[in-house]
Amino acid sequence: MAEILTGAEILCRTLVEGGVEVIFGYPGGAIMPFYHALPDHPRLRHVLVRHEQAAAHAADGYARASGRVGVCVATSGPGATNLVTGLAAAHMDSSPVVAITGQVSRAMIGRDAFQETDIIGITLPITKQNYLVQDVTELADVVRDALAVAIEGRPGPVLIDVPKDVQNQKAEWKQSQPPRIPRARARDQSPGSIDDGIRRAARLIAGADRPLLMVGHGVILAQAYAEVRALAEKTGIPVVTTLLGISAFPEGHPLHLGMPGMHGEVHVNRAIQHADVIIGIGLRFDDRVTGNTASFARQARVVHIDLDRAEIGKNVAVDVGIVGDAREITRRLLAAVEPRRCERWLEHIHGFTRPPAASPHGLSPEAILSAICEASEARCTIVSDVGQHQMWVAKLYPYRRPNTHITSGGLGAMGFAVPAAMGVHLARPDDTVWAISGDGGFQMNMAEIATMVQERLSVKMAVFNNGYLGMVRQWQQFFHGKRYSCTPIWSPDYLKLAEAYGIPGYRVTDPSELTDAVGEANAAPGPAVVEFMIEEEANVYPMIPPGGSLSEPIEAEPAPAPAAG
Amino acid sequence: MTLLVPRAHTVAVLLDDALVTLNRAVGVLRRRNVPVEGLALHPSGTAGLSRLTFVLKADAVTADRVAQQFQKMTGVRSVMVHGGEDITSEAKQ
Repeated sequence: MAEILTGAEILCRTLVEGGVEVIFGYPGGAIMPFYHALPDHPRLRHVLVRHEQAAAHAADGYARASGRVGVCVATSGPGATNLVTGLAAAHMDSSPVVAITGQVSRAMIGRDAFQETDIIGITLPITKQNYLVQDVTELADVVRDALAVAIEGRPGPVLIDVPKDVQNQKAEWKQSQPPRIPRARARDQSPGSIDDGIRRAARLIAGADRPLLMVGHGVILAQAYAEVRALAEKTGIPVVTTLLGISAFPEGHPLHLGMPGMHGEVHVNRAIQHADVIIGIGLRFDDRVTGNTASFARQARVVHIDLDRAEIGKNVAVDVGIVGDAREITRRLLAAVEPRRCERWLEHIHGFTRPPAASPHGLSPEAILSAICEASEARCTIVSDVGQHQMWVAKLYPYRRPNTHITSGGLGAMGFAVPAAMGVHLARPDDTVWAISGDGGFQMNMAEIATMVQERLSVKMAVFNNGYLGMVRQWQQFFHGKRYSCTPIWSPDYLKLAEAYGIPGYRVTDPSELTDAVGEANAAPGPAVVEFMIEEEANVYPMIPPGGSLSEPIEAEPAPAPAAG
Repeated sequence: MTLLVPRAHTVAVLLDDALVTLNRAVGVLRRRNVPVEGLALHPSGTAGLSRLTFVLKADAVTADRVAQQFQKMTGVRSVMVHGGEDITSEAKQ
């Protein structure tokens, strides 16, 4: 006998059918039928956030750590618009997120009804796909389609907008029945063209004097760690990892050079500028990586391997473009290359190495990160926010396990770390999860501590407190005549804040207190906050000025420039 | 380096006959800052599909990049880039 369900029940059931286990959300008027149906589906664990932005970041963090789709739910209007930053972050960093939003009833759409907003129109440029469900009979297939679209190919966020009356409408429940909604597919590169690309790439590698591998997020998404490492070891080619490629290749490996770009070490950027062949795998040659593209790697022939054909040649000119999964293509390239060594080139690169910059006075980022690494015995996933601490984490933390560095790279959304870490914790309950923020970013989403307490989410929060919006202050120091306009930022007493939430809080002002505070926070059974009082005007060096060439880094505090008029 | 000479390309995009798809397609032209002249939407002759046609004044590499952005879009069935007329000679006529 046919089973008749409401749209809300169909939503829940298709999520369960799709293997969804965790939902981050916040109820409201237009999504109430969904919340009414939810308790009948105990396989869906709902995490009640304190702001919808956190729901989207948490779903993103869950997706990045688990490799599965992260789901967030919000009501219409402000609930939906609050998701936008999180969806944009997921879009920029190719993270599979499905957002479900309530919408006003169909008869009210277009009438500027209470809490009506055109979330489809708003999210068009920051989603891979979105749907306004106009009939309950389409709902199940839309959800199935959304879960598939989010994760297939290059992953990305998908939004489903469901009017309230559609959630209440009844329809016959139908099991998943392919085909899903027919969809045009991007034309893949022809097999012959891929073979040809691999042959040409192998020839370029064989003939190169100064080859370089540039590894990005695509390697983590494709889990191509072993293949990339084998390719590097077979050919002796040194490896640089972009911000989102960090932890795709073991730090400390003799072939690992570090992170390139705006805050890349001098020897890494010099290696790029001197390379005669660059093999880029799963990166988009972002402007923060290339600096001024006119002066980027001018001596290099570029091989670009990417799943998204539209990325090939988008930012830098490419000699050989290969469209495909990083793991599959790297495996085939590995088979096609001859073993070789690059010892003279490596020596050449190490000749560019600068002595480590003098640590800032007092509590240094190196000491803090090393204490976190030791306390967690390297069994931890680091989620960083955006700013100076993000660069210190990227450059200094010794990542040993793949995909243990999660950050908002493309969008650079401050406030990301704390909520994203909640998602990471739920995806990896056996890992210690450290959310590392500055005092600016932490204050954006610190309300989520309440979510952690209520939902028993064990996230360790580190706050690098320098009393400034540090990266902006650094730019003001370098490029705006030290005019610190609106960057000093006051913080509340984080020990009292922790106490108010009933969780352990620590303040570290002296290096001698580090081990105990970090160790205790790490061992505490639930969330904990550790505030690190770092030097107020510490800078991240080296730095390529925005739009500048990778060849011209700022390596120390510049002479004061006249104030910009 | 003829690939980098600006020319007039006619781009024809066959897409699903749905407002959301059209919105997304035109949105890409705006978001990617594509230098477009003339934009037309016609029935394609096949039920459920429309043809969006526009003229793009750009070099061949840019034209190809625009085509790739459309190619990967949900609801887009095919993208054809025609021409490559020399803009300078066109202006002389």
